[in-house]
Amino acid sequence: MTLLKKGTAVLAAGFMAMSLAACSSNSSSGNASEKKEVAPVEKEGDKTVVRFWHAMGGDTQKVLGDIVQDYNESQEKYEIKAEFQGTYEESLTKFRSTKTSKTAPALVQSSEITTKYMIDSGKITPVQEWMDKDNYDTSQLEEAITNYYTVDDKMYSMPFNSSTPVLIYNKDAFKEAGLDPEKAPRTYSELQKAAKALTKKEGNSTKQYGFSMLNYGWFFEELLATQGGLYVDQENGREGTAEKAKFQGKEGERVFNLLNDMNKEGSLGNYGTNWDDIRAAFQSKQVAMYLDSSAGVRNTIDTADFNVGVAYIPHPDEVDSEGVIIGGASLWMTNMVSDETQQGAWDFMKYLATKEVQAKWHTGTGYSSINPDAYEEELVKEQYKKYPQLQVTVEQLQSTKKSPATQGALITVLPESREAIVKALESMYEGKDPKQALKEAAEATERAMKLSNRTAQK
Amino acid sequence: MKEIRSKKFIFYTLLIISALVIFFPIFYAISVSFMSEGDVRARKLWPSDFTFSNYGSAFEQMPLLHYLKNSFIVSSVVMIGQLILSSLAAYTFAFLQFKGRNVLFFIFISTMLIPWEATMIPNFLMVQGLGWTNSYAGLTIPFFATAFGIFLLRQHFLTVPYELREASLIEGLGHFGFLTRVVVPYCKTSFITLGVYSFLTTWNMYLWPLLVTSDDSARTVQIGMKQLRSQEMATDWGGVMAGATIIVIPTLILLFLGQKQLQQGLTKGAIK
Repeated sequence: MTLLKKGTAVLAAGFMAMSLAACSSNSSSGNASEKKEVAPVEKEGDKTVVRFWHAMGGDTQKVLGDIVQDYNESQEKYEIKAEFQGTYEESLTKFRSTKTSKTAPALVQSSEITTKYMIDSGKITPVQEWMDKDNYDTSQLEEAITNYYTVDDKMYSMPFNSSTPVLIYNKDAFKEAGLDPEKAPRTYSELQKAAKALTKKEGNSTKQYGFSMLNYGWFFEELLATQGGLYVDQENGREGTAEKAKFQGKEGERVFNLLNDMNKEGSLGNYGTNWDDIRAAFQSKQVAMYLDSSAGVRNTIDTADFNVGVAYIPHPDEVDSEGVIIGGASLWMTNMVSDETQQGAWDFMKYLATKEVQAKWHTGTGYSSINPDAYEEELVKEQYKKYPQLQVTVEQLQSTKKSPATQGALITVLPESREAIVKALESMYEGKDPKQALKEAAEATERAMKLSNRTAQK
Repeated sequence: MKEIRSKKFIFYTLLIISALVIFFPIFYAISVSFMSEGDVRARKLWPSDFTFSNYGSAFEQMPLLHYLKNSFIVSSVVMIGQLILSSLAAYTFAFLQFKGRNVLFFIFISTMLIPWEATMIPNFLMVQGLGWTNSYAGLTIPFFATAFGIFLLRQHFLTVPYELREASLIEGLGHFGFLTRVVVPYCKTSFITLGVYSFLTTWNMYLWPLLVTSDDSARTVQIGMKQLRSQEMATDWGGVMAGATIIVIPTLILLFLGQKQLQQGLTKGAIK
């Protein structure tokens, strides 16, 4: 496993080097519609082959595979080839170094934080172009999701698998601690109180922690956005190129202070940076409440041998919740393939966005539907009867207020910034002053932004 | 007498303990491969009831046999390629006299200092330019030249007594005959070491195969493993471990067969 980790780090480094080279070599990248050399149309029988690179492993791969198969059987013109390319990072590295060739992908799935990277890569065709050609009505899609992928009023990619953060808690533990299992904490003070009540100690060791949060930058961004706090300046980088970090302001401080207080009280469990670890801790009742991605909810309910509750993420007492930023990934159309292949890719995107397919995807994986009509489908309704908790994730997303904060930050260096946040949280758990830790993370982010902006200008 | 026995006792106790410690992850992986998902999450050490469904899902989720075949082909080709190229190069450095030989040799050796990851992207661009993506050629040929292999074999070749060379000259053997008939049998252990070593490293390779293959035609088994892991969602560890258990079997067989030679070969090269 360490080898894998090392590998990813190396990949990331290589990827950085590549992107620097890419930035300096094609400065006219914004002009994506200008035709360049494309791969020849690949045929399989009479069908045009559309290669689709994705990063969906495990159970999600099965669901995706079924959908692709259904599509291929439903029509005669295109054959989608779903090809797994490793994690989002690995797949992105590959995409960045791929040149036009006969195996070039027409569709690439890339995670939300790479949005700006992809736009600047010069290798994609904004999906808006096809929407305009086809008079596609984007209002049928979930606005809270499309907001993220809309830059300068243009949809650059088609959202596909979208997830949001939720608070997951152990209802049985709530009962045991004398709390109302139907009423999850909403504000920081409620959360803190509940966490204290849920913490069970035996001598010097803690048998059950009240609360835990995966040490992952995404959750910090969410806790910030739900207060309406901006991550970077220029309206989160959506009005222009961001140059300053804004997350170290009072909103960010509130998040850090909350975690710091709970850590000092001993009600916060720290399970590092691995999703599987924190979930295992919850399953084995070492943690009573934690933040998770909505995509993991159903699986958690299925495997837990106690009652599981799902709630909105907490917000400070003094401000109202503004909602959440969506996470997950979207589909990008590359300009390395011919018009005909692009047409096929677009047709498949449209198919994916239909309510029937979205219903299947939503129930099969736990990702939110990008088409709100899907929630009216029988399939979804049935599942909600079985898992009423899943509805919470949808409600939270739909009640999100549209603002630059909940649209999410648009910067190329988000991966580096997340890394800085992780470090800051770690050093705070070890005793560093929260304000100082936050300040260092902001400085690291600004350094990375400065470097990236400078290379982009060349 | 008694002292020796008690010494032995302590010695073996320590050995057993360290063997257990080292074996534990493998044991646990195999144990997890038989567990239900609930057991895995509850961090059980032993499955509460044995299930083979994980093996079923591992086979179902990826073309495991196809991947195993690819891995086997790629690993074997790299092994054979490395053995041939390294022995030829090592022979040159050990037996032929020419100007700048040592300099050249040290330049070769110095490439060991550069981690291959550093050259990965340029390599990839070259392979892509040659149109070798998604082919066995792209997976194998970049690994034929190995400084480690040349070094290992050269060190062993140097121990071949010069008298053997003289004798073979009298017998009328040329360079190639001397290499295949005398040097190779004499240095058998080093060849086996290098063979096993290169087979295993190629078998375990992940990044490179991931980069140069984008569809299933030439993909190796390690990428298949990665496919079993989910992103963002909970991973089905039972299935992952079932897959791992299956793909570790060929490596284990190879290790058991080559263990003795492997030990001998590695120490010979190092201690000389």
